[in-house]
Amino acid sequence: MSGDVRPVRDADAAAGAQPDQGASPPRRISTAPIGEDSRLAIDIRGLIERGAMDEARERFAELVAFHQRRAVRIAYQYLRDPAEADEAVQDAFVKVFTHLTAYREAWPFEVWFTRILINGCLDRGKARSRRDRWVVSGDISSADEARASIAGGSQNPEHRLLARERRGRIAAAIDRLDGRQRTVFMLCHYGECSPRDISAMTGLKESTVRVHLFRAARKLRALLGGQP
Amino acid sequence: MIRRVRHLREQQIFDCYLAERSGEPLDPPMAEHLADCEPCGSRYAELTRFMDTLRIEGNAETDALFPPDRLQAQQHEIARRIEGVLRPARVISFPGRVMQRTMAATSSRTAPRWAAAAAAAGLFIGIALGASWESRGPARQTTVHEATETRASRLTAAAGTRSALTTDGAADDAFLSELEFALDRPRTRELVAFDAFTPHVREIRDIR
Repeated sequence: MSGDVRPVRDADAAAGAQPDQGASPPRRISTAPIGEDSRLAIDIRGLIERGAMDEARERFAELVAFHQRRAVRIAYQYLRDPAEADEAVQDAFVKVFTHLTAYREAWPFEVWFTRILINGCLDRGKARSRRDRWVVSGDISSADEARASIAGGSQNPEHRLLARERRGRIAAAIDRLDGRQRTVFMLCHYGECSPRDISAMTGLKESTVRVHLFRAARKLRALLGGQP
Repeated sequence: MIRRVRHLREQQIFDCYLAERSGEPLDPPMAEHLADCEPCGSRYAELTRFMDTLRIEGNAETDALFPPDRLQAQQHEIARRIEGVLRPARVISFPGRVMQRTMAATSSRTAPRWAAAAAAAGLFIGIALGASWESRGPARQTTVHEATETRASRLTAAAGTRSALTTDGAADDAFLSELEFALDRPRTRELVAFDAFTPHVREIRDIR
């Protein structure tokens, strides 16, 4: 995955990741109001520092519930494998809890967490590509396939088949995006991040993020013929 | 006079889409243009539809793969994994039975400990005695040496005597005295019979 945007490493939390060359250092978003999740993270950090671990774990479950759905979407779109995405999300939350004392409120928690998640996904993606050189990777399980095929609530087999084909085409088109475009596009559209958040996560300039998003959208429209 | 309308560029339309998604205010001239210009409005609507479809399809696929029960299981797994995180290390205590057995084994070793001490003391005493015996060694060696010297001097004297007889020409007397010396030695009873059969030097001399 050449040209991948490796989210800027948080010194204490993300492992093995280096900022992209040419990317500017992340700008702090000190003016952003503290969100509910950030407040919760600060509370948990205080509990950990005081040694109230049981209470910290209880509160952390709330934080997990807050970001879980979004994290799963990002991880799945990135890895395209439910089991890998599941593990990547778990790892990210465990890593967050382990390094929560390093969290600073100058950053929205969402940005900090998403960085860690994306770093984990990138590492997993690279490990998988190395593994796939030697081992034939298995397709998604039939249970997962069945779940995916009935998405949308349609019971009509024809609709399900069409939806499945449509999703396959979309996934193939996204897969053909340049690494940076792909990351930026997924963070924006599946992670529901604003260009400013993505800029903070990736260390790219906000204007660069916008350009990548625009190019990604244009390429997808070209690949999908304007109609997904 | 017909006024030429400049339509929004694709990038500007996309910026409008991003601004709307992020909840940011649109650039007023662009917002006004989108509202007034039908072609740009329809391009904007088409872009929005396309992007929304991508997002909805992707999210629907993920949500189908991760239903609430799977997310619940994932939460439990995360809770289980962070259970041991940041917990201080604790010393593992051995089971009580093993401890008791260990204590019993320690008390039963009291007697062997005394035995070991006695053996050590005996070894020490033995070494000390050996060392003292070694220290007396030179005196004993001196005595043995003196005895050896006495015997040697006696033999030397005898040899000197023999040589003197030889040199004096009294070989016969010396020879006879040696014979007498030999005959004076205690006889072995078992050899007496053999001695009787064997001709003696005296007899041979007498025959001559």
